[in-house]
Amino acid sequence: MSVCHTRFFFHRRLCFFFSLMASKPQRVHQFAGTSVPGSTKKRRTMTTDCSMSDGFVKYADYLNGLNEKRERVVKASRDVTMNSKKVIFQVHRISKHDKDEVLEKAEKDLASVTDLYMSRLVKELQGTDFWKLRRAYSPGVQEYVEAATLCKFCKSGTLLSLTELNASLLQLSDPSVEPLQINVLDYLLGLGDLTGELMRLAIGRISDGDLEYAKRICQFVRDIYRELSLLVPHMDDDTEMKKKMETMLQSVLKIENACFSVHVRGSEYMPLLGSSDQDFSVFGMPNFDP
Amino acid sequence: MSDGNVSPPPPSMPPEINGSASMEKQFKGLLAQLEESGAIRERIKSVVMEIESAARAMHSELLLVHRSLPVPEVLEKARAQIDVLKDLYRRLSDILRECPGQYYRYHEDWRSGTQTVVSLIAYLHYLEMGSLLTHGQTEEKLGLDASDFCLDIEDYLTGLCFMSNEMPRYVVNQVTAGDYDCPRKIMKFLMDLHASFRMLNLRNDFLRRKFDSLKYDLRRVEEVYYDVKIRGLVAEDTIKDQTTESQI
Repeated sequence: MSVCHTRFFFHRRLCFFFSLMASKPQRVHQFAGTSVPGSTKKRRTMTTDCSMSDGFVKYADYLNGLNEKRERVVKASRDVTMNSKKVIFQVHRISKHDKDEVLEKAEKDLASVTDLYMSRLVKELQGTDFWKLRRAYSPGVQEYVEAATLCKFCKSGTLLSLTELNASLLQLSDPSVEPLQINVLDYLLGLGDLTGELMRLAIGRISDGDLEYAKRICQFVRDIYRELSLLVPHMDDDTEMKKKMETMLQSVLKIENACFSVHVRGSEYMPLLGSSDQDFSVFGMPNFDP
Repeated sequence: MSDGNVSPPPPSMPPEINGSASMEKQFKGLLAQLEESGAIRERIKSVVMEIESAARAMHSELLLVHRSLPVPEVLEKARAQIDVLKDLYRRLSDILRECPGQYYRYHEDWRSGTQTVVSLIAYLHYLEMGSLLTHGQTEEKLGLDASDFCLDIEDYLTGLCFMSNEMPRYVVNQVTAGDYDCPRKIMKFLMDLHASFRMLNLRNDFLRRKFDSLKYDLRRVEEVYYDVKIRGLVAEDTIKDQTTESQI
């Protein structure tokens, strides 16, 4: 959803950019018109220009380097997002009978995301880059946090902590390079998304007849929501997180209501519930028809 | 529900309780981290407020240049604010030294203030020396040590664009005060600056829009130059200078 949104935004900005470009030639023309007085004037401009442009050559190098790096980080982040999503899909394939195999495959996929794609981020980011380029890699890292915590929950029913997660990333870089450490903000934003996935999982479990599991998820999500509600006001930029908190509350309610329905109406309600909530598995598809 | 007990029992009751306890513990730790960075941010913000107020003071001193032809005392008073700013940036870098590598985490807090500061210092420098203040010189004037607390290059460049925004008004008032050669000098300066900026591959962001505004400043200065020149107000020797140039 957010990717689509930014792309649309970009497009609009590009349009703006082109309209500027279109009005440019005329103005350039004016410049040429006023600076007519002779070629020598131009030569003089060039010579004095030199001292000024010396500095600008450096700035240009810096900006080029930075933009290229940002581009690479964005690409790496996108790969992390894409492949983390695949892990999440894999987790959702869980059913009563093949839980272990499905999870095992999901974990293997996650490990390869770490080795193949997170490692590319690690290579790019050094020193101040972690914060400077955060916006370029944050979406990928959030998705990764989501996938990793989801796997962990399904396996052991606990929350993968930031410390554990960062420890698992340490092995990616050789000791000479600064290791990639996921920051608190991205971790929390990732957890914000995790609850949505857990909601889908819970609904799936209920339709599969596994009410106990759904109840466990419900309690887990409630706990996360409660804990996060204390943290959110302290986050650097909490607008994104506030939105996630609202969605999170909706997820909690959905799970609670589903549990309630099954609890009250008994097993005859189950097939119906299963079919009505099928839509949840079609992630984000509505975004593609503008 | 009937076959709920079939589900494999990974974490039954005890681990779950442990789980939520450890969850609480981890979130306490994270809260502490966030509070710590929040406290740092508060300290940064209070220094930035002082920076912005010093910049306002400097700006109001510099506004006096519109009243008359250049007066050294006016510039002297504006220059006095640089020492105040230098001291404030030292305090800022002291705070940042406590959290190495996190310059860009808090960057937004001082970004716009710093851009204004750069524009004022560069403006003052131009009025004094008639040349462009480089990135290195700006860091030097503000007493910044690149390894500690650098001046972000994009902030510097944005500051230069802000500086150019001051030029059209300056030119107009200088001409009114009787300095007819001023438009030519500033036009040349802005042309060089504009040409230099065109060497940069800018992204479609804030700096790019500011760069576009530089173009309009240049155009306005050109108009003033045109007005002065067409009425024959440009000093004799400079005209002669130019005609001989164009003959070569």
